[in-house]
Amino acid sequence: MSPTPCPDLEVLFAELEAGEGPALDHAAECEACAAVMEEHRLLENDLYRLADPLPPPSLVVNVMARVAESPVPQRREVWTGLAILLTSLGVGLGFLFTNDRALGRMGTAFAASVRDGRMFVEGLFSGAHALWSTAGLAVACIVAFVVFTSLFGLKRLVGSPPPSLSEA
Amino acid sequence: MAIGMLMAEDAAPLPWQADVQAARKGDPSAFEALVRSVQRPVYGLALRLLQSEAEAAEVAQEALLRAYQNLHRYDDARPFDLWVLAITRNLCLDLLRRRTKVRTEELEPMKEVLPSNEASQEDGAIAREERQSLEAAMETLSVDDREVLALYYVQKRTTKEIAQIMGCAPGTIMARLFRAREKLRKKMTPAEEETK
Repeated sequence: MSPTPCPDLEVLFAELEAGEGPALDHAAECEACAAVMEEHRLLENDLYRLADPLPPPSLVVNVMARVAESPVPQRREVWTGLAILLTSLGVGLGFLFTNDRALGRMGTAFAASVRDGRMFVEGLFSGAHALWSTAGLAVACIVAFVVFTSLFGLKRLVGSPPPSLSEA
Repeated sequence: MAIGMLMAEDAAPLPWQADVQAARKGDPSAFEALVRSVQRPVYGLALRLLQSEAEAAEVAQEALLRAYQNLHRYDDARPFDLWVLAITRNLCLDLLRRRTKVRTEELEPMKEVLPSNEASQEDGAIAREERQSLEAAMETLSVDDREVLALYYVQKRTTKEIAQIMGCAPGTIMARLFRAREKLRKKMTPAEEETK
């Protein structure tokens, strides 16, 4: 028997995976630990021999019958989003056309945004021109990186959304 | 590696990709091929978790139908069977949560239903009685323990695949496997329990 106390089994098996450790050294000299490890090995052999049961023969037929009744909803979320967008737009426009004050405020806001927008765009172009003339290469690299990552992200988002298994 | 605890973690090829694409376009025969390829592990997992043939068949049907209805959301880069197994697992767990009583009358026939690989392994097949006692001991374990044992030993999934199905870190699977196996060992050898 080993002079050291027997280690926790979880530690022993963790070290077995790692391939070394004091618990494994202990087990090499401890009959009790060696016996437990042997029991686990035999149990694993038995477990590996188990197999999944055959499903009922009607399973495929039943699934396909239900599939036939349920056509694939193509991009259902797109249509849902579109419906929400159109509804919101309709409600907003309806409110504006039935309310003179709201319509007036919208016109004023639009005129102000055109005036401020022009100044903003001119300032933006001026700043971009100054930036380009002082650090053109760095800017080009950053822009290329941003465009690339955005396109990649967009492709992932549109092409194959991560399968939320719990939602599926 | 000792006692065969680790398996290859290499990514498997995706032979179902063409069928998935065809099924998305509305080809029912392509989806039928997918159903046939995954029906056994799907039903097997459901049966291990629910321990009721009727419920397992019902859940397997529902899982496959949901897979069809959500096919446009499936990421082609990931194995199709793992995706469907994860759906099956979630449905089983939902059902187990809703259960108000244990249906013990359905546990007995399970021993006759769950087979072994002995027909395909001419040498070294375990005896029918041993297999049944092993199945019976497994049935007494918790859902979590049954699940991890079934996926690893019965379905021969890698720890990485099991982690994908269960939605947890791959590093935790081996520890969960060990604990489940240790509980099973104690169930199988109650007289020798706590020998250390």
